[in-house]
Amino acid sequence: MKIVPCPLNGPRNISEFAYGGEVELMPDPNTSSSEEWAEYIFFSDNPAGVVREWWCHSATSYWFIAERNTVTDEIVRTYPASELFKERVEFKKESE
Amino acid sequence: MATTQPAQHPRRSMIYRILREAGAEFEALADAAVAMRYADGGDEVALARRLGLADLSPLARTGFKGRDTPDWLVTQQVAIPDEPGQARRQSDDALVLRLSADEHVIVSDLRTRSELPATLDAEWQLSAERMCYHMPRADSYCWFAISGECATEMLAKVCGVDLRLDKFDDGRIAQTSLARINAVIVRNDLGTTPAFYVLADSASADYLWPCLIDAMKEFEGGIVGLAALRALV
Repeated sequence: MKIVPCPLNGPRNISEFAYGGEVELMPDPNTSSSEEWAEYIFFSDNPAGVVREWWCHSATSYWFIAERNTVTDEIVRTYPASELFKERVEFKKESE
Repeated sequence: MATTQPAQHPRRSMIYRILREAGAEFEALADAAVAMRYADGGDEVALARRLGLADLSPLARTGFKGRDTPDWLVTQQVAIPDEPGQARRQSDDALVLRLSADEHVIVSDLRTRSELPATLDAEWQLSAERMCYHMPRADSYCWFAISGECATEMLAKVCGVDLRLDKFDDGRIAQTSLARINAVIVRNDLGTTPAFYVLADSASADYLWPCLIDAMKEFEGGIVGLAALRALV
């Protein structure tokens, strides 16, 4: 079994984790075009090499970020999402 | 204490029907009935020392989550563990589990002398200024105890985390997959007997209980009542 080093729980079997897609910065929902939004929601860059991905430890519902080499399937590093996302994301309506 | 039947109480264990079939003798405990011993159970204390499984689901427990939870618990005179993944015994023997930096679960002691879960439930109030949210655990988690010298060998059959006694200290927590369902496993030795508490989704209790009994068979383990666990402390 492949082992994933969870930042909260330590090493765990990969069967305890769920993949959550590539980490991408969200475009501003008020100013982005439908194409940009669709690109963000539905499409992956899928590069060969090290990518940043969302992973979730199911037993704790803990979301974190993993850097994984898509060529070798090696997990280079995992860390809490708070390293990248330091502020709460507020969704403001256009009228505000 | 006089025996009773679970259906006479407002709260009951998620698996009380299974326990009743197994010959459980129930005793009243606050608003619930707990399986205290089993008819034809033999020497349950000796069984608990080798490999015993007990249902503690009727005992009190609660939880709190949110960024300000550690501070709030400290103001309530709770001694919280220093790090996530650790449990800390309180002066009244209640156990505080720190599941993550911000999430804590508080479980009663076996003699149910601690009033900490009930006190915290009563003291907590929702506040817009304080990010501390109530996570009642009495109905969402079932609570089992696995005790005895064969406990780690048995758990190795159903859990991928290394729970051997020299690798997994008393008071440590593993949140992992147990018999393929998510569970919180806490090592909480009872006297000199190794023991683990298991908190898992209550809707899966009907599945988990027989799974554990099946895993215990090769070690000649069996179900024990709360009285046997109390005798170990």
